[in-house]
Amino acid sequence: MEKQDIKIGLPRALLYYRYRVLWRVFFQELGMETVVSPPTDRDILERGTALAIDEACLSLKIYLGHVAALAGQCDYILVPRVSNFGRHRSMCTRFESTPDLVRSVFRGPGQKFLSYEVDEEMKKKDEQDAFLEMGRTLGCSAKAAKRAYKTAKRAELAHHKERVQRYEQQYKKEGMKVLIAAHSYVAEDPFMGRTVSDYLKRVGVIPLRADMVDREAALKRSRELSPTCKWEVSREILGGVAMHKNDVDGIILLSAFPCGPDAMVNELIARRVKGVPMLNLVLDSQSGTAGVETRLESFIDIIRFKEGKL
Amino acid sequence: MAEAKIRSVSFPRYAEYNCAFKYIVEQALGCRYVMPPVLTKRTMELGTKYSPDFVCTPFKTMLGSMIEALEAGADTLLMTHGLCRLGYYGELLEQVLRDLGYQFDFINLSEYDMGKKKEYLRIVRRFNPKANPARFLAQFMEGVRMVEYVDEITHEYYKNCGFDATDGQYKRAYQDFLTAMYTAQGRNDVEAGYRAVKRAMQSIPLDKPQRPLRVGIVGEFYTAMDAFSNLELEQKLADMRVEVHRWMNVTNQFLRYGSGQKNLRVKIQDLCQYDMGPTSTANIWYARECAERGYDGLIHIKSATCTPEIDVMPVLQNISADYKIPVLYLTYDAQTSDVGLMTRLEAFYDMIDMRKRVI
Repeated sequence: MEKQDIKIGLPRALLYYRYRVLWRVFFQELGMETVVSPPTDRDILERGTALAIDEACLSLKIYLGHVAALAGQCDYILVPRVSNFGRHRSMCTRFESTPDLVRSVFRGPGQKFLSYEVDEEMKKKDEQDAFLEMGRTLGCSAKAAKRAYKTAKRAELAHHKERVQRYEQQYKKEGMKVLIAAHSYVAEDPFMGRTVSDYLKRVGVIPLRADMVDREAALKRSRELSPTCKWEVSREILGGVAMHKNDVDGIILLSAFPCGPDAMVNELIARRVKGVPMLNLVLDSQSGTAGVETRLESFIDIIRFKEGKL
Repeated sequence: MAEAKIRSVSFPRYAEYNCAFKYIVEQALGCRYVMPPVLTKRTMELGTKYSPDFVCTPFKTMLGSMIEALEAGADTLLMTHGLCRLGYYGELLEQVLRDLGYQFDFINLSEYDMGKKKEYLRIVRRFNPKANPARFLAQFMEGVRMVEYVDEITHEYYKNCGFDATDGQYKRAYQDFLTAMYTAQGRNDVEAGYRAVKRAMQSIPLDKPQRPLRVGIVGEFYTAMDAFSNLELEQKLADMRVEVHRWMNVTNQFLRYGSGQKNLRVKIQDLCQYDMGPTSTANIWYARECAERGYDGLIHIKSATCTPEIDVMPVLQNISADYKIPVLYLTYDAQTSDVGLMTRLEAFYDMIDMRKRVI
């Protein structure tokens, strides 16, 4: 197979929201085509729910739905294993299991999957090593893969920086601001967090994101709130909350049912961050947004009441 | 801390390992050990009341057990590190207990870099500044030996106790052994207790059929091993005259295969390429091993919301389909009644028993 003909499928869920630029540019630089599954809709959610174990989190159910949507549409579907970036910088164990989980669920001939493994603590494999290895399995030279990775990483960092700057501008605006503390794949999914941020915008509230901060600074600041938190993304959120808790009128702890890290970290935030109204909102596969909107409405009323504006 | 003060240390109830914790705290660290009360309905009520809803059940159990240990007079609590959510238990447990108003010292291993050997000495010194490292190591290894004995005898016990031909001598021998471990003051006590139970188990007559029903247990590290947490599943199965086999225990997971379980992965490469969680490789390997050895069924045990074990389930489903071995999936939350479990176990037993006759 010519490299030009290789088509890589990217499921629009979980790590996609963190690494979409990195993935897209990397494969583009190597001359391959990428195809992204469509935004989450009811069909994707239902297919994913049917494929998943009942007790799995909503985010995984949606993910499996996206993989199913891509199956048969591309040569490889990218399902990485991201374990950790060092000590106290782990991902949820679900990101360790996804490649094997997906292969077990979509067993049998037909769809091929592509994976890379980041595990700095146990195997001393950082992201660059992982991408070089993936390049090798795709038949690219180490040099080409390294160049592609460097370009892609630069693009990813620039993209994140630009988004952070855009959010920083928002803090300066007039009006009620609410900080959403959520994983990116929860906050940005049309069936999960987007219903929340869309509603907030509709009623004139500025939604902000705890994880839209400089990542290195956030990792350091996270220690103020939780000295032993071990999850990379949770630490970024903790750091974002520590940086901005005094710049906003309220905080929404937004998680997908039953997110493992959030179940503990959000409890800790609720116990340690005082003086800001806080809403703990757990999303499951609701068929409508009325329930969520009622809770958001009353939360906004509480903020207004507290500020003497109601 | 005032230098004369000797710490009263406690660690939550965990299967039958508290005898080894006690031994290590008393003999190796030179502190007092406060044995937390046996887990009861009250423990679970306390733990559930003050825990976040979606945290895995062992957190609730440990919180309840820590409260009861503080009530029993402990002034120092120990919490371990871990690869899954266990690694974050310590900080949240401490916060919940402090918010409730308890006063205690908390030693959280997640604060230390457990990859570095010199950290261990710091931890030992924190328990007891006067601890002698050489004595600590020697006595610690005795505690480890106790863990190995407990695991070996427990495995032997559940394999055979359902076929005891006497009026319960097998069970009494096991309980006498545990008593010996819980009261051991030195190496001689440990060895004597171990020898006594080995002799007893060999001499007690068993009434075992040529091909008994055999069931393999796999699952989550706490719930699969802790008899209170799994509502005495293994004893219930054994009482139905089933040979119960469980590989997962501290000896196998940490002492024998601590360094990555590379050699277990060899046989399951077609099923999974990576570690899917802290205990996935061992569980998948053992499930296939049981299937290949012709066991009659598998039981997968986990606590509610245990992420790694939920992720192992699709692989177990494939093993079940490939080898035509029935798997019973059990999820435990903070329930304290075993009526529902009994119904499911009886149905499972009837099914594997019928299959054995037909096949």
